[in-house]
Amino acid sequence: MKKIIACFFVCSCYCSSLSAQSGTALPPVDKSPMDMSYYPNNYPVQKIQDKITEPLVARVIYSRPQKSGRAIFGELVEYGKVWRMGANEATEIEFFKPVKIGGKKISKGRYTLYALVNEDSWTIIVNRETDTWGAFKYNAKKDIVRIEVPVQKNDAPVESLSMLFEKAVIGCNLIIAWDMAKISLPINF
Amino acid sequence: MTATIKKYSLLLLLVSVFGCSDKEHKPKEQANNTTKKDTSAFSNSETNTNPYSAVDVSPMDMSYYPADYPKLKMSKAVNTPPLARITYSRPHLQGRHLFHDLLKYGEPWRLGANESTELQLYKDVAIQDKKVKAGRYVLYCIPQANTWTIVLNSNIDSWGLIPDSTKDLFRFTIPVKHNNQHLEYFTMIFEKTDEGAEILMAWDDVEARLPINF
Repeated sequence: MKKIIACFFVCSCYCSSLSAQSGTALPPVDKSPMDMSYYPNNYPVQKIQDKITEPLVARVIYSRPQKSGRAIFGELVEYGKVWRMGANEATEIEFFKPVKIGGKKISKGRYTLYALVNEDSWTIIVNRETDTWGAFKYNAKKDIVRIEVPVQKNDAPVESLSMLFEKAVIGCNLIIAWDMAKISLPINF
Repeated sequence: MTATIKKYSLLLLLVSVFGCSDKEHKPKEQANNTTKKDTSAFSNSETNTNPYSAVDVSPMDMSYYPADYPKLKMSKAVNTPPLARITYSRPHLQGRHLFHDLLKYGEPWRLGANESTELQLYKDVAIQDKKVKAGRYVLYCIPQANTWTIVLNSNIDSWGLIPDSTKDLFRFTIPVKHNNQHLEYFTMIFEKTDEGAEILMAWDDVEARLPINF
């Protein structure tokens, strides 16, 4: 009996020494991987293939949380609250030339994007506080513009938060889709 | 009673033994899981079905200097602007060896995957006594066995696969260390030094450091 207990003791010590050894300062891979989208679409590929047809206008850098079986809108993303539209580092949009959103002139430069989500519409917020984390220190005083856009439905649930620019009659739209929701943010230039 | 205790202890022993072996193999298992995640959960289910934008097999990531600047900003631990940021994609080995299967000495390597790796400097800096102005740069590397040449290039917003060497701005040669801890995913971070910071580039068991003076 004593032997068994002693054996157990030695074993648990060995265990804790092992767990103490693990751990590294280097960053693991994020659960919500980062991604970027350009307008024009695939601009970097076009650039190295000498196939650029339009000048560079915008780039969005965002992290992509996954649905993973959860109800997203109205649950994980609460209605009426400011949402970071991503994960980890705040979602960043960079304009390489002046554009207009919701009639407001926006100079070239980097901005942070947030959304105030409701069931039928989202209010997209362009804010000047960059290099920040999530929406935890969101400050409405630094808003550049807010624009309300209607929510459309996807044909099937989208697993990972997705952002993509598409060409429009005047400028482009930033498509943001996750789960069954999809919105289109008009950017004029 | 004694029999019950014996049974109980035996159970505990078994649990602890299994617990041990579990912990012992954890790093490996984690690596496998992450690999699986990337190929099954991400690419298989989503690469083909996401109608907007497929999830990359080599996920993008971002490193700031000061390290974790966005978190520091959120907790109000900094009130000065960031100094530098790297945006890069993180390929993983998946059983391959860096300098046998993936890279060749003397040939340009994009230090990442997909979009070219970007160094954003928020202020003018000095690298190996050369002044480098604030702005965005493409970073790529020409590896040799014992040194890497790190190139700062002006062809920003491009795809990393074919660097345009006619747009090279600076070339810095730095030493390389082998036989470090094995890393499944390519990793770039800033580490503070006495003179400023270093960009640490590490993958497989190889690491190189580019010092930057702010």
